[in-house]
Amino acid sequence: MIGWTGWRLAFSFLVFPGFLFSAAIGLVLTWVDRFVSARVQYRKGPPLFQPLADLFKLLLKQTAVPRGASRTLFMLAPMLGLVAMCLTSVILFFANIYPEGSFVGDLIVLVYLFALPPLAIILGASASRNPLSAVGASREMTLYIGYELPFLLALLVPIIRSGGSIRLGELVAAQQAGGPFLYSFSGVIAAVIILLTIQAKLGYVPFDMAEAEQEIMSGVFIEYSGAMLAVYRLTRAMMMLLLPLFLITVLWGGFADWWAVLKFLLIVVLVVLIKNTNPRCRIDHALRFFWFGLGALGIVAVALAFVKL
Amino acid sequence: MRQSEEKLKALIPEAEVYEHNPRRLYIRIPREKLTQAAKFLHRERGMRLSICTGLDTREGYEVLYHFSEDATGTMYTLKVLAPKDDPRIDSLAGWFPATGWIERELTELLGVEFPGNPDMRPFLTSDTDWEADRRPLRRDYERRGEKHER
Amino acid sequence: MSKLGLWGLKKSPWVYHVAAASCNNCDIEILELLTPRYDVERFGVVLVGSPRHADALLVTGVINRKSLPRVLEVYEQTAKPCLVIGIGTCTCNKHIFRNSYNAVGPYDKHLPVHAYIPGCPPKPEAMILGVVKALAKL
Repeated sequence: MIGWTGWRLAFSFLVFPGFLFSAAIGLVLTWVDRFVSARVQYRKGPPLFQPLADLFKLLLKQTAVPRGASRTLFMLAPMLGLVAMCLTSVILFFANIYPEGSFVGDLIVLVYLFALPPLAIILGASASRNPLSAVGASREMTLYIGYELPFLLALLVPIIRSGGSIRLGELVAAQQAGGPFLYSFSGVIAAVIILLTIQAKLGYVPFDMAEAEQEIMSGVFIEYSGAMLAVYRLTRAMMMLLLPLFLITVLWGGFADWWAVLKFLLIVVLVVLIKNTNPRCRIDHALRFFWFGLGALGIVAVALAFVKL
Repeated sequence: MRQSEEKLKALIPEAEVYEHNPRRLYIRIPREKLTQAAKFLHRERGMRLSICTGLDTREGYEVLYHFSEDATGTMYTLKVLAPKDDPRIDSLAGWFPATGWIERELTELLGVEFPGNPDMRPFLTSDTDWEADRRPLRRDYERRGEKHER
Repeated sequence: MSKLGLWGLKKSPWVYHVAAASCNNCDIEILELLTPRYDVERFGVVLVGSPRHADALLVTGVINRKSLPRVLEVYEQTAKPCLVIGIGTCTCNKHIFRNSYNAVGPYDKHLPVHAYIPGCPPKPEAMILGVVKALAKL
């Protein structure tokens, strides 16, 4: 029988802070993205209900599976990313609301969970039986290998600064006691690295070469339509909520007070502004940038963190 | 008188030159002398082939080769006439690759034959919905009526 | 079609541009339509890269014997329900190519067309009006 704990878990996973809550706020954030992009381009932009209209429209469209494509993988791959993001939202929100409840190693778990949406994209694209989606999948794989290195190096900074702890609760507590890790040289560098990694994880310009619309006809998503495409977009919307929240939790003091909402919006607006002011990179440029540019910066940040700067 | 014009007239005495304006010359030559004249203009005088034109006239099918002398900005056009019952002109594609596709197009749409062109497959018209050997740009091609309607 | 879905379709038409033997004049005007000056994103219109994501096919050009099977293929690939909007007078009645040996239009002989936007090329304002009218018909 499902006991009280079971119902509480199901509620956390599905309603708050799980699927419904994160999806709703994520959809609002996609509207914020389109709104800021529109204003930067001197135009009005879509109305507030636009993400909802996109969602409902996608749910009514036909889902077509290409002949010869791997049917099961094609349909299941999008769900992988969605489930991972629901789980991430539970862990991340509870780490902020109830820091004593976090477990040792949940930072590592989050790194793995954030790796699942790109994996879902790669699996779905590989199952599509389309040469353009194969190109997109290989680009996404290369991009992932590229940005994961500086991402991990940047994550070493809060770990070192908090005295070697890999529990999110302890990171938040250490920041509430001694000030956010961002207010230091190593923190700033780590924040910049994680910000650019967020750009790549979300698949935003300048790192949207996996889904290049004009070049490879929406590469990874080329064969997806209808409800499955809605799941991918919803996953991206949830990532737009959870990735900046993750940055705030590990580097900027967590959701300690209501100023955190402004910090959060600042990060989202920065991501959108970077998206609007840059052209798309080539995949080898991106790889070199992440490994040798941001990777070197990451090593500098770790060194500075060791000497308590 | 222009150097190229002088030398061409020396080479081919049957050439008739019509000067439309100082920058455009139309040189009518018999079709047997085409290869010689084209080689002269392209290789010895260094002219660039712009394009070729095909016309369906009363006297026959006329093909014009427009050579551009970029140094002076003058256009030398060779006019070659092929009679309607024997529409063949020597192909230049063997030594001048640029004319290969131009000749394919002229054959496909106008019906002028270019013996010697290695590749004569049709490429402009549809591969699924069109019979070969219909020459649509001839003046007597029936563009209306049931045979053509789609 | 559920009411919510229909509302979504009206408020968020994603367009895919199919050029079948066009002279590219209408294609240039479509590109102009999608610039920030005319701001079609306030209607929810987004240009997508794959026909599977499209709700409205913007077809241009006098359709050709050669391009007809390809355009039909693209129409088959588009996820239904989808609108087909013919841009330019060539799609309506072949325009200056009406006596051509190669033109097989108008489009509604081969595809179900929901709206035609005449003009050579039509102004972007005319295209917006046409798309809005086609959506209102749904």
